[in-house]
Amino acid sequence: MSELVFYFITLCACVFAVLSVTQRDIFHCALWLAMTLLSVAGIYFYLDAAFLGVVQILVYVGGIITLFVFAIKLTSHIGDRSIRQTSKQWGLSIFITVLLLFIICRIFAQHPWAKMVVERPSTSLIQVGQSLMTNYALPFEFMSVILLAAMVGAIVIGKVKK
Amino acid sequence: MQIAHYIPLFPFLAFVINIFFGRRLKIVSAYVAITASIVSFLFSLRVFECFKAGEASYSLGTWLTIGGKPLNFGIIIDPLTIMMLLIVTFIGTFILIYSIGYMHDDPRFSRYFAYISLFMSSMLGLVLADNFVLLLIFWEGVGLCSYLLIAFWYERPAAARAGLKAFITTRIGDTGFLVGMLLLFFTCGTFHFTDLKSLTGPEPILTLAAILIFTGAMGKSAQFPLHVWLPDAMEGPTAVSALIHAATMVAAGVYLVARCFPLFVDHPMALQTVAVIGGISALMAASIATVNNDIKRVLAYSTISQLGLMMLGLGVGGLSAGTFHLMTHAFFKALLFLCAGSVIHAVGTQDIQKMGGLLSKMKITGVTFCIGTLALAGVPPFAGFWSKDEILLTAWNNHHPVLFVVALLTSFLTAFYMSRLIILVLFGKARSELHAHESPLTMTVPLIVLSFFAAFAGFIGSPLKEAAEGAQGSFVIMAISTVVSLTGLALAYLLYIRRVVLVPVASIQGLHNLLVNKYYIDEIYDAYLIKPCLAFCRGAFSFDAKIVDGVVNGTAEVVQFCSGLLRRTQTGLIQNYLLVQVFSVVLLLIWLLKI
Amino acid sequence: MIPLAYFTFLSAFLFCVGIYGALTRRNVIGILISIELILNAANINLVAFNKYLGTPDGMGQVFGLFVIAIAAAASVVGLVLIIAIYRDRKSLFTDGFTLMKE
Repeated sequence: MSELVFYFITLCACVFAVLSVTQRDIFHCALWLAMTLLSVAGIYFYLDAAFLGVVQILVYVGGIITLFVFAIKLTSHIGDRSIRQTSKQWGLSIFITVLLLFIICRIFAQHPWAKMVVERPSTSLIQVGQSLMTNYALPFEFMSVILLAAMVGAIVIGKVKK
Repeated sequence: MQIAHYIPLFPFLAFVINIFFGRRLKIVSAYVAITASIVSFLFSLRVFECFKAGEASYSLGTWLTIGGKPLNFGIIIDPLTIMMLLIVTFIGTFILIYSIGYMHDDPRFSRYFAYISLFMSSMLGLVLADNFVLLLIFWEGVGLCSYLLIAFWYERPAAARAGLKAFITTRIGDTGFLVGMLLLFFTCGTFHFTDLKSLTGPEPILTLAAILIFTGAMGKSAQFPLHVWLPDAMEGPTAVSALIHAATMVAAGVYLVARCFPLFVDHPMALQTVAVIGGISALMAASIATVNNDIKRVLAYSTISQLGLMMLGLGVGGLSAGTFHLMTHAFFKALLFLCAGSVIHAVGTQDIQKMGGLLSKMKITGVTFCIGTLALAGVPPFAGFWSKDEILLTAWNNHHPVLFVVALLTSFLTAFYMSRLIILVLFGKARSELHAHESPLTMTVPLIVLSFFAAFAGFIGSPLKEAAEGAQGSFVIMAISTVVSLTGLALAYLLYIRRVVLVPVASIQGLHNLLVNKYYIDEIYDAYLIKPCLAFCRGAFSFDAKIVDGVVNGTAEVVQFCSGLLRRTQTGLIQNYLLVQVFSVVLLLIWLLKI
Repeated sequence: MIPLAYFTFLSAFLFCVGIYGALTRRNVIGILISIELILNAANINLVAFNKYLGTPDGMGQVFGLFVIAIAAAASVVGLVLIIAIYRDRKSLFTDGFTLMKE
């Protein structure tokens, strides 16, 4: 049963991802991206990382996708259906990407832990919280500084110069 | 006291001062040069005294070591060197004094004295050098100064061309000299003159080396067939002609042969070559001088002729005779050139057909000119008589009848053309409007001093004279020589004062043309050497322009084309770059995982 | 039970789709979307490895959090840049941007 759920979520994620990079209308792309992100959140839930899944939905689907929609609407007619959205190098790109996918999958498939199914006891939210405040306190603080810097930078760049 | 090596330094110092500060020094630059020259003269006298007290050559240390053999900064001190030192500094001093008057209104006054100082420095170094390499350096130095001074008035195209001609012609000889010198080194392993006495090596190679060294002397001393530059060198200031192209530099060739005399004596073929070339030059130049109408060119041909005579003297084995003539010739030829300069200065032309009757207007110049002429003509008791007599004597004693006759004929022609020269210049009536006046004191005093030496230097005798050279039969030779000289004078008197027509003009017209055109040697060189050479050069130039440049430009174009192709990859589109990056990563993975 | 490899396959697929998008989209916003996909692919790996191989302190999840935060910061700056470019050029098509060779 749980395998079926996994296959379903994976299929959704893959299809949505492909759609989000191939759609002509950029607004549709953003929506398909939101769907992909939701599917990925499902994967997180499936992997017992419920907190991460929630964060994914809140930050990504709630925040970043909204930003994308803002950006798309602010730049208006960019997403017109009449305009070609794919560059000339798509053929070569497909070839290289498929080659890359093949290589990566081959690496993973041949690795000793590829068939690993033994599960460890899942990490509890409490443990994640403790780690954030103890072992990873410094990166955590840095992260807040980066977010602040990004915010300030965004304001400075986005300001209309008089 | 080892002071000989300071001698060339004083003129060099004067050169440095004059070349850098000449513009500000103005007339003082002449005094600087003269002072340096006088100091050098005094040092030379001191070296002479030391030599008499028994001092010998010395070395200032090793310069190079070539193949394990040391090459020294050596100073050679022997009678030949001391004679040359005294001649150069003594005559040089008076010519510098003379130049103050002669060059007084020249815009490059100080430059002139700088060059002359450099020349004296090189010349003094040349005679002091005790090996070929050192000598060659100074040898080229005097060549350079000769070029600079011939082309001193480079605004005149003829002067610039004459400078080039002199430089290139002597360069041909110098190349031979260099090859000969190196041949000698590779055969015998020495550059030092002192080793020349005891050389061991294959006979033909040493003979060849000697002849090649002699070609250097031929170029410098303007011997046939490299004599063509000297008459043209008369484009330079007359005082330069006196110092460089009469008294000293052209004598460097004779000096070189004298310096290498042991080498030549050991190889009769080489010695024979020297004598024959000397004889040809002597006779040929003397015959050309009989018809030339340019006062300086007559003297230039006379110089070639006299240098030929010196070579002949050396060639018949008379080291002392040749060098003795070198010394006396330096005095009277310098005197004659200075007189000619004084005349040119006064009348403003060099064409003797336009002069005449100048004796009454220019007494000092005229009288000294006559003394110089008598000395050159070999009339006893003037200096030229003694040295020429010695050459004749040596030729006779060493059984060279043909060369003896050649020398005799040369001295006959010498007497003839010199008499013709002074008759046309000094006697008779003026043949054009001339406002001649006597030259200033700075010019006449050197004339008087030099004429004194031209008259009496012969009594000193050759500094190289050995006791063994007896005077046997010398009175007969002296008598013959005197008679021949006087015959020459008499012939000129008849032809140019009495205007006696000895032979119909038409019968000698062909000969006259031949002489006026200097045996067509310049024309022959032009047709058979210079034109083919220029044609070859043009060919080489077009080869360079089309093929060499073509290759170079072609390389550039190929590079440009390839870089044009490469530039296509620089699209500026980030996605292209990204594609290349991803592609590279894929390749890297394939390579790392050996898939 | 799902083997670990399947998660990595999914991750690889999303990653490659993201690469493809970044290589081919003419629109700069499209490229940003692709980059989000790539980041998510990485995140899937982090969480999956945490589940199968991880330490009890939940390192994988913590870094997953960090990645999401970084992604948020990146898209904020990226989108602002896009707006600035658009203001300047009135276009968002990468073929028009050749400043790299000028």
